[in-house]
Amino acid sequence: MNPQNSSPPSVKKLTEIFFRIGNTTFGGGYVTIGMLGRELVDTRRWISPEKFDLAFALARVTPGTNVIAFCVAIGALICGVAGAVAAAVAVTAPSSVLAVLIMQGFESFQGNRVAMAAIGGTVAAVAGMMWATIWVILRPHVGGLTRKGMTRNLQVVLITGGAFIASRIFGLTPLPIILAGTLIGFLWKDVPKDVPKGTQRP
Amino acid sequence: MNLLVLYLLLLKASLTSFSGLGSLPMVRNDFVVERHLLTDHQLNMAVVAGRTGPGPYGLYLVCVAYLVGGVPGACMGFLALITPAFLVIPLMRWIGARADIPRVRSAIRGLLLASAGLLLSSSVPLTRDAFTGIFSAVLMAASFAVLTFTRIDSAWLMLGAAGAGLAASLFQ
Repeated sequence: MNPQNSSPPSVKKLTEIFFRIGNTTFGGGYVTIGMLGRELVDTRRWISPEKFDLAFALARVTPGTNVIAFCVAIGALICGVAGAVAAAVAVTAPSSVLAVLIMQGFESFQGNRVAMAAIGGTVAAVAGMMWATIWVILRPHVGGLTRKGMTRNLQVVLITGGAFIASRIFGLTPLPIILAGTLIGFLWKDVPKDVPKGTQRP
Repeated sequence: MNLLVLYLLLLKASLTSFSGLGSLPMVRNDFVVERHLLTDHQLNMAVVAGRTGPGPYGLYLVCVAYLVGGVPGACMGFLALITPAFLVIPLMRWIGARADIPRVRSAIRGLLLASAGLLLSSSVPLTRDAFTGIFSAVLMAASFAVLTFTRIDSAWLMLGAAGAGLAASLFQ
């Protein structure tokens, strides 16, 4: 947990947040992850950005649905195994029930002009959310205009751009792309971010 | 169908995929092609239902399980959906203990950047699909700006977007 936080979160409070975000966020797992990042890292500071990144990275290589693994990881980091179980159930159980209900009523739903107009608006908002989520992921890794910063930027462009091209143009599946990204990261050592003068640790 | 077998089949599909819809080829093979428990149309409906509501795209597994085994089946689908996620805990303990090693940190960074590239790749068709004219473009830009520069809850954003979509249809 982030040492800046004064009141440690309870499993109940954590469940509330996963329940609210997991069941009101449309557009799939990445959007949910972006929203959880805003809430848990930026607003409440219950978890550090480094641990958030670690959970995100490991959720990508965990079999199954990434966002559930991510929620389990975050729940475990904040409140232990109870937090992990609570996070998984709070994020998936209500939306599972809703998915089954939607499936049952889907055909009549499609003929409803009002419902389809409302869905059209949310689909556009979800697209914007996806781009915001990409920015949330990339923002901490973008450097400044110094030499070190430019090296970091080059890593961002090459690895992110390479993954994009490998997936979009060559149709590679996610696993080899992720493994290649990890290997490149391992071989091409990260350049630490520039720290303003006077704030360096001794 | 035996509920344990249903759970194991869905678990197999879930364990061998690394994204919400990554299990789809295996589910289709097991339930449509080999066992004839579902038609392609039913599987398609399950996928659409999983994508229409909130939550992860992998929820379609619960719909598939519901179609095969009713409410008890849906419970098995739910369990098969969340079970693999708990593998992240030992993974995190093992790698988390080494996360301060510069090489490990760099590898995690490489993984994150590659993931961002993959997300970028899947955002392109979604954006193209969502773009229906100037109005939808404005909604996309507004959604991006609200989430990037403000702390407004995403639920309000979705509600606002639904209302805007509704209002636009009334004026057309």
